[in-house]
Amino acid sequence: MEGTAVAVFEILRFLLIHWKCDIDVSKGALLEGQLEISIEGLHSKHQANALHCVTTIASAGSLFGGMVLKKFLKEIQSILPGISAKLTWTSEEGSYPQDMTGVTPFQMNFEVDEKPRTLMTDCLFIKHFLRKIIMVHPKVRFNFSVKVNGILSTEIFEVENEPTLNLGNGIALVVDSQHYVRPNFGTIESHCSRIHPVLGHPVILFIPEDMDGMDLLGELILTPAAALCPSPKVSSNQLNRIYSVSIFLYGPLGLPLILSTWEQPMTTFFKDTSSLIDWKKYHLCMVPNLDLNLDRDLVLPDVSYRAESSEGDQSHNMDPQGQTLLLFLFVDFHSAFPVQQMEIWGVYTLLTTHLSAILVESHSVVQGSIQFTVDQVLEQHHQAAKAQQKLQASLSVAVNSIMSILTGSTRSSFRKMCLQTLQAADTQEFGTKLHKVFREITQHQFLHHCSCEMKQQLTLEKKDSAQGTEDVPDNSSRELLADTNGQAENKRLKRGSLRMEEMRALHSARAPSPSEAAPRRPEATAAPLTPSGRAAFKAHGRALAPGRVSLGSRLEDVLWLQEVSNLSEWLSPSPGP
Amino acid sequence: MAFAPMGPEASFFEVLDRHRESLLAALRRGGQEPPSGGSRVASSSEVLVSIENIIQDIITSLARNEAPAFTIDNRSSWENIKFEDSVGLQMVSHCTTRKIKSDSPKSVKKFALILKILSMIYKLVQSNTYATKRDIYYTDSQLFGNQTVVDNIINDISCMLKVSRRSLHILSTSKGLIAGNLRYIEEDGTKVNCTCGATAVAVPSNIQGIRNLVTDAKFVLIVEKDATFQRLLDDNFCNKLSPCIMITGKGVPDLNTRLLVKKLWDTFHVPVFTLVDADPHAGIEIMCIYKYGSMSMSFEAHHLTVPAIRWLGLLPSDLKRLNVPKDSLIPLTNRDQMKLDSILRRPYVTCQPFWRKEMEIMADSKMKAEIQALTFLSSDYLSRVYLPNKLKFGGWI
Repeated sequence: MEGTAVAVFEILRFLLIHWKCDIDVSKGALLEGQLEISIEGLHSKHQANALHCVTTIASAGSLFGGMVLKKFLKEIQSILPGISAKLTWTSEEGSYPQDMTGVTPFQMNFEVDEKPRTLMTDCLFIKHFLRKIIMVHPKVRFNFSVKVNGILSTEIFEVENEPTLNLGNGIALVVDSQHYVRPNFGTIESHCSRIHPVLGHPVILFIPEDMDGMDLLGELILTPAAALCPSPKVSSNQLNRIYSVSIFLYGPLGLPLILSTWEQPMTTFFKDTSSLIDWKKYHLCMVPNLDLNLDRDLVLPDVSYRAESSEGDQSHNMDPQGQTLLLFLFVDFHSAFPVQQMEIWGVYTLLTTHLSAILVESHSVVQGSIQFTVDQVLEQHHQAAKAQQKLQASLSVAVNSIMSILTGSTRSSFRKMCLQTLQAADTQEFGTKLHKVFREITQHQFLHHCSCEMKQQLTLEKKDSAQGTEDVPDNSSRELLADTNGQAENKRLKRGSLRMEEMRALHSARAPSPSEAAPRRPEATAAPLTPSGRAAFKAHGRALAPGRVSLGSRLEDVLWLQEVSNLSEWLSPSPGP
Repeated sequence: MAFAPMGPEASFFEVLDRHRESLLAALRRGGQEPPSGGSRVASSSEVLVSIENIIQDIITSLARNEAPAFTIDNRSSWENIKFEDSVGLQMVSHCTTRKIKSDSPKSVKKFALILKILSMIYKLVQSNTYATKRDIYYTDSQLFGNQTVVDNIINDISCMLKVSRRSLHILSTSKGLIAGNLRYIEEDGTKVNCTCGATAVAVPSNIQGIRNLVTDAKFVLIVEKDATFQRLLDDNFCNKLSPCIMITGKGVPDLNTRLLVKKLWDTFHVPVFTLVDADPHAGIEIMCIYKYGSMSMSFEAHHLTVPAIRWLGLLPSDLKRLNVPKDSLIPLTNRDQMKLDSILRRPYVTCQPFWRKEMEIMADSKMKAEIQALTFLSSDYLSRVYLPNKLKFGGWI
C-alpha cells in the first residue's frame, strides 16, 4: 500500500471525523452524504515506468455544513504535513452561495508518482476501505473512478435501502449477508439473506503502562458484535458448523482501523487464534487464514481464521458449506468531556499502531466479552433449531391425528369434503398435502432470526422491513451503543462510567487509575505519537519499499491483515509537532 | 321401604324435616328451571359429528392458506364467571376466549395435543369404550408431559364441544366413598347397597348410568376427610342416626363424587350438610366446591353444584362455644390468611352472612382447627354428641 492509498485513507478519515464532529454526535445521527474520489494516472515525466497520479476528493452535496474551508485545509495539512504530493484546495471559501446553509461543496486533490502495479494495489485497498466505511455508515456514498491513460473505470459504493441494524452512536451495520460471504449454491433456500448480529458487553481497554505519551481524557471501549453468516433459516434442520471466522476492526466513530503492522501476517494478538475465543468449547480448531483475495467485492475482514479438523489435517475437510462467524470489534472513545476532533484522531492513531498491545493488555476482559457474545449467537441458533424440532414434532402429531379421524370416519360426506378441500385423490395424497400445507403455513412464524424474511405471504409481525433499519434487539447487551439521543449520551456515559468503575475495580492491579489516566490531554493541534510507535512505523516504512509485491502473491493476499503506517509519520521525516 | 329400624326417634328429625320443607318450598319458588348453557349429555353420533366438524374447519382454513386455530373459552377467568344463588358459579353466556394457534411457537404444541386427544376421543366414542384421564395420559406420557396438561385439554374440549366429559367417553377416576341408607343399580346391572357396615362403597364411575336409587335418608352428610369418615363408620354413625347417607370425596372431590351428591339432591331433595375442618384451605374451600362449584369446572356447574348445601361443622364459633383448648388449635399461616381473604371476596359469600361471620371469627382469632380437635372432650364426641346435637337442633348455617 503506497502513497495514494495511504493519503486517501488519511484524508477520508479526517473528513469523516470532521464531518461526524460537526454534526451533534449525541444525537447519534447517521452520516449522510456523498464523496467522489477520482484518480487519474498519466505517464510520469519524472519517473520512468511510473504514473503521475492526481487524486481528487470532492463532496457532492451538503456535506460539511458550516465548515470553514480554510481552517479545514490548515488542519488537514497539519495532519498530513509531509505528504509528498501537493495538497491543493480547489474550492475557495465564499465562492459558493452562502445562503445555502450547510451546502459547502469542496474539492481537494494531491499528486504522487507511482508504479502502475502499485496504483492497482492502492486502488484495491481504497475500494476495500470504502466498502468497510459504508458497512457502518450506510447513508454515505462513494463514487470511485480511476482513469489510467484514458481508460476509465468507475464504481459506486453505496448500500442505500439495504437493511441495517442501528448500533447507536451514529453507526448502523449493514446486515445483508452477501456483503460478507458469497452464498454457496444450495444455501439460498435454507438460509436467511441477512445476518443477525448479537451485540456483546462493552469492555474498557487498558493501555499498557509503557505506552507513554498517549494521554487520554477518557476510556477506550471495545464492543463486540457477532453473527453467523449466512444465518440459517430455522426451517433448516441443520446447524452447520463454523467454517471460518472473519474479524472486522473499527475505530472511533465507526472508522475502519487500518493497522500499522499490515505487512506482517497476523499481529501478536491475532496470531494466537484462541486470544479472542476459546474454540475448544465449540470443538473447533482455528488456524489463521492467510488465503485472502483482495480482488473481491466482499468486505474483506481484517483478520481471518479457518477451521481445521481436529486431526490437524490441513486438507480443508471441514464443511465448506459451513458458516462464517463474523466478529465486529468496535473500539470507541468515551469521555466525560466533549470530545475534540484531534482527540479522536489521536485515539485512532493510537489504535492503528498499538491495537495489538492494547488487546494483549486487556486480554481477559476482551476474551470474556467476545466469548459471551459468540455464546449468545450460537445459543440463539441452537434454541432456534430446537424450536424448529419442536414445531416439526407438533405438526406430525397434528397431521396424524387428523388422518386418524379422517380414515376412521364412516361418514362419506365428511371424508369426501376433506379430500375435495385439499384436492386430494385419496387419503394418502391427502396426508401428503396436509403435511405440506401445514408446514408452509407455520414455517414463517418460526423463522427465529428471519422475521425479516419476505417470502411467506401470511401476516406476521415484521420486526424490520427490507428497506428499513432496526435497532439492536432488547436481548443484546448494548449499554453504550444503543442510545441515540442527546440525553442518552450523558446517561450512556454515566452508565458506562459505572461499568467502567466496576471494571476498574476488577483490574485495578493492572490498569492505570483514573486519576492517572484522565487528566493528561493530548496536544491540541497534533496527534501525539509514542516514540515506539514512530520507530515501529519507520521500520515498516523502510520495509515497505523493498517489500513490494504483486497481486496474487502471498504477501499481497494478506495485506488486510497488516497494519498500515500512519501517513503523517511516513510522510514527515521530522519529529511531530 | 324396609330398612332395619335403627337410629333415633322420629322427633329427632323434626328440625331436619322442617329444613327440608323450606328447601322444597324454595325450589318450587325457583321454578326448577332446567339448566341452561354449559355442557349436556350428547349422543355418540353427536360427538363424532362435532369432532368431524372441527376437522373440517381446520382443513378449510388450511385450504385458504390460513393457520387454523382453536377458540377456547377462558374457563378459569373470573371475568367469565358469574354467581347465581340457584346454581353457584357458572360461566357467562358470552365469555372471553383465547385462541390456540397452530402457527404460534407458544401454542403449536397445545394445538397438536388437542387434536391428538380429539382423535383419541373419536376412537373411544366410535368403539363405545371408555378411558380415564389417566389412561389418556399414559398412552403417550412423553408427548403429554404431565397429567395436568391432559386434564386441562379434556376440560377445554368438553367446554368447546359443550358436552359432558362422560359423553366424550372419558371417565374420571372415582376416589370417593359412600355409606348409609342408599341402594341403586349400576349401568351394568350391579346392585349396590350402601347400608352401613364396617366398610363403605366406592362412588361409582358412571353416575349418569346408575338407576333405581332408593333411600329414606333424612340427610346427606358430606365428610371432608377420609379419616373422619372412617371414624364415623367405626362409631356406627350411619346406624345411630339412621336413616342417613354419608359420603366423602377424600379431600377435594372428584367429579363423580360431586355428580353423585348432585344426583342425590336432584332425586330426593334430601338436606345436604358438610362436615369439614375449620380451615380456609381445605375445609371451607372444599365445602364451597360442593356447594357453588369450582372455577375450572364452572362450565359444568349445573351438573355439579348443590347450592342448598349447609355448613354443619366444624364452625369457628363452635371452637369458642365448646372451649376447645388452644393447644388443639393451629395458628393460621400467611397462606391461610390470604386464602381466607380471597374466599371472603368471592361473590357468593355476600349472600351468606352467617358464613361470612364464621370466617371473620376465624380471621379475628387467627386460629384454625381440625375436626379431630373435638376428641379433646372424648374420642367419640363427634359422633356421640356434636353431630347429633347439631342435627337435632339445627346447628347449621
